[in-house]
Amino acid sequence: MAKERSFTEKEGYFGDFGGRYSPEILTEALIELEDTYNKLRKDKKFQKDLEFYRRNYIGRPSPLTYAEKLTKAWGGAKIWLKREDLNHTGAHKINNTIGQALIAKAMGKRRIIAETGAGQHGVATATVGALFEFETAIFMGEEDLRRQKLNAIRMQMLGAKVIGVSSGTATLKDATSEAMRDWALNVSNTHYIVGSVIGPHPFPTIVRDFQKVVGDESKKQFKKENDKLPDAVVACVGGGSNAMGMYYAFLNDKKVKLYGVEAGGRGPSPGEHSATMLFGKTGFLHGTKTLVIQDDGGQVVPAHSVSAGLDYPGVGPEHAHLHSSGRVKYETVSDQGALDAFMEVCRVEGIIPALETAHAFRFAKDLAKELGKKKDILICLSGRGDKDVAEVARLVGLSQGDLI
Amino acid sequence: MSAIKSVFSDSKSAFIPYISLGDPNYDLCVDWADALIRGGADILELGIPFSDPVADGPVIQKAFKRALANPFSMDTILGTTEKIHSLHPHIPLVYLTYFNPIFHYGFEKFAEKAKIAGIQGMIIPDLPYDTPETDELFKSLKRRGVDLIHLVTPATPLNRMKGIRDFASGFIYYVTSYGVTGERKSISADLEDRIKTTKEVFSLPVSAGFGISAPDQAKEISQYADGIIIGSAVQRIIEENGSNPSLCRKKLEEYAQSISGSLRGKNR
Repeated sequence: MAKERSFTEKEGYFGDFGGRYSPEILTEALIELEDTYNKLRKDKKFQKDLEFYRRNYIGRPSPLTYAEKLTKAWGGAKIWLKREDLNHTGAHKINNTIGQALIAKAMGKRRIIAETGAGQHGVATATVGALFEFETAIFMGEEDLRRQKLNAIRMQMLGAKVIGVSSGTATLKDATSEAMRDWALNVSNTHYIVGSVIGPHPFPTIVRDFQKVVGDESKKQFKKENDKLPDAVVACVGGGSNAMGMYYAFLNDKKVKLYGVEAGGRGPSPGEHSATMLFGKTGFLHGTKTLVIQDDGGQVVPAHSVSAGLDYPGVGPEHAHLHSSGRVKYETVSDQGALDAFMEVCRVEGIIPALETAHAFRFAKDLAKELGKKKDILICLSGRGDKDVAEVARLVGLSQGDLI
Repeated sequence: MSAIKSVFSDSKSAFIPYISLGDPNYDLCVDWADALIRGGADILELGIPFSDPVADGPVIQKAFKRALANPFSMDTILGTTEKIHSLHPHIPLVYLTYFNPIFHYGFEKFAEKAKIAGIQGMIIPDLPYDTPETDELFKSLKRRGVDLIHLVTPATPLNRMKGIRDFASGFIYYVTSYGVTGERKSISADLEDRIKTTKEVFSLPVSAGFGISAPDQAKEISQYADGIIIGSAVQRIIEENGSNPSLCRKKLEEYAQSISGSLRGKNR
């Protein structure tokens, strides 16, 4: 009897990772999404529309900034920043939501849903919901709602329904599960805008493709400015979309060292960090085969990070592959290290970075010293930190009086 | 013929209730299983708890959470299964589980130990047939005569059903509605036609699940389905009465009797 497989065993996989491990009720929607995207990616009008919104709505290309003050302060390699914080809505997330909203429109879907941790993906989804007139629902863990109140308010102002998730650890992992459940119920009229390079095939590929603009622009801008490529590229990794977008252009440039920085949290004990590359084992979570922080029984262990956006016990399958192949080196930075870097970048360079990116900054500080003055480090400044100021102020003990 | 397939007949519809192992602990769930079987269960589905059950609604999510408050190990799961099996060796037991705990334990070891514990079928909602791991697991199970039971949904087109056919045995779990597990008041209008098509494609018994809770619903669907699967409604009884074991047992047995008695060919 002939097997009628909807995709070959290798399609949608990155080495041993990736694939489509989702409930059967979602499979047809995933196949429809894959087929639609395969057509659209070659469609000139789609590419033209995407380019239009990138230039005229997001504000691309985002600048490449030489961080002169940080370079001086850290006393090592030159520091360059890819300014995704200057995009409309304040992070790289809008690159993906604009693209997926155009796909949803092409599929005739009227409703979009999303999961969000730090809220930047929620805001970016609510924004395209308003722009393209979708009914929009955003799932967000109750703990993240507390930490990222400002973004929750922004989403509501943009017309989205924000649904608090109290199950499990009430963070990104549970918001993702809840969004998948909603999608299973409403799959005929709803598109799920997955916010990172995670989830069942084709999401990791789609999200990477919409984020690779970050690396493509960076490469061009850096070459123009320096007539060479950077020696090292650093990005923070939760699910890993800004990092994947940044790395993709450099994967074949073997002289460029690529670093991913995960949340080391409060320490190495289970539940105290989100360092998937260091502590994760191969497993299946949210529809994909990837590295997952899990216990001896195969139960997923809750993750922790001071940054809601990194607080995820899995990672994109392409990252898992880049880790196992050794092309990208993954490191960790603690909560305290990230808070220190957050404050330092604010005061030295006049930029308030997202707490997620602060992890990348802290790692880059040591790397700059290690590489020395003749080298160049490019950091993906994935988003701005307005959303984090209240939480950071609380954690570093700044009272309102101090702030005034 | 597999032990599971032999439960089904043209003249009556089978009752397949579900419980989450470990809720509220591994001893009491043996009592719940016993009560359901005494009340008329023909096959019993045993849920292996998982931290991230994306295909389940709130009732089973909460059950898994309560279960995982006890120390989890696959060996405890297998031991509990063995106890249930020894009480009622003639009743086929089927695991319903997410893929990660099985993958983590190892296919061969799992298939071997599950078979010894009395398991005769597996349902894994997040393991579609078209993945490399299905081939491997399917072979491990098939060697031991354990059925791999697949889900077919209102969103599954004909060409996909034909693909699933190569890997399916025992019975087909037909998902009656979109969404996740949980009790629902209405059942979709074209259910009978969809089940009929599914039977034709697979030449296997087709049991309907997701959303069924009341005897009248079960009765109606049993007119054309070979089996009725009920999870959340059973689990709700445990949620509400689990702290009073003798009452909970009684309620489970009565509920099982009410459903079983309402099914096609089982009127008492």
